[in-house]
Amino acid sequence: MEEYNSGEEIFLYRLESQVSFNADEASVSVKECIEAIIGGLDYNQNKVNQWTASIVEHSLTQLVKQGRPFKFIVNCAIMQKSGAGLHTANSCYWDTATDGSCTVRWENRTMYCVVSVFAVALTC
Amino acid sequence: MDEFQTGEETAFVVDEVSTIIKESVEGAIGGNAYQHSRVNQWTTNVVEQSLSQLSKLGKPFKYIVTCVIMQKNGAGLQTASSCFWDNTTDGSCTVRWGNKSMYCIVSVFGLAI
Repeated sequence: MEEYNSGEEIFLYRLESQVSFNADEASVSVKECIEAIIGGLDYNQNKVNQWTASIVEHSLTQLVKQGRPFKFIVNCAIMQKSGAGLHTANSCYWDTATDGSCTVRWENRTMYCVVSVFAVALTC
Repeated sequence: MDEFQTGEETAFVVDEVSTIIKESVEGAIGGNAYQHSRVNQWTTNVVEQSLSQLSKLGKPFKYIVTCVIMQKNGAGLQTASSCFWDNTTDGSCTVRWGNKSMYCIVSVFGLAI
């Protein structure tokens, strides 16, 4: 006359549905931050320092607000358009089931802006 | 005594990582001039080589390695990173390398598992 502990089954169900990183949502969030901070402005050497710092801070704040169990790294590069070549690459050693990244490329007449977001799942 | 040892093994050691990165960059692009047709391969080689050396350290970390190669042309480049992590165990290190024709900037982020 054994009774199954239905409480245990519910617990196992929760472990299986661990969230993975939603790159599309993050991408939209980051694009809005970039537009808000440098949309419509020309490259300005005096201000670019401030711009990159604002972009990473605001993007990070928006990502953390989503309340998901992730550690985040946000990277932003702003380059003046002057005919120079620029190449970037990323390589990541992590758990491909739960972790992820997304890269947003934005440009206007005078500059390029590349923002990368890396999300690493918290092991709780 | 056990706790002291695990503390050392599970912290991000900037100097060690910095050395590994410098060697990877020198090995992949040292002595070359900027070439548009080869730069794709170079960035890939730098990140792959760095990552394999880092994983060989055998520490309980997840790693993210990014590499930027830019031709020297008078253009301005500004980068910034912001991280939401555990300050006691996680860390990052950035290595800037340059020769006559290009700059190479490699950033490593290490997150404790």
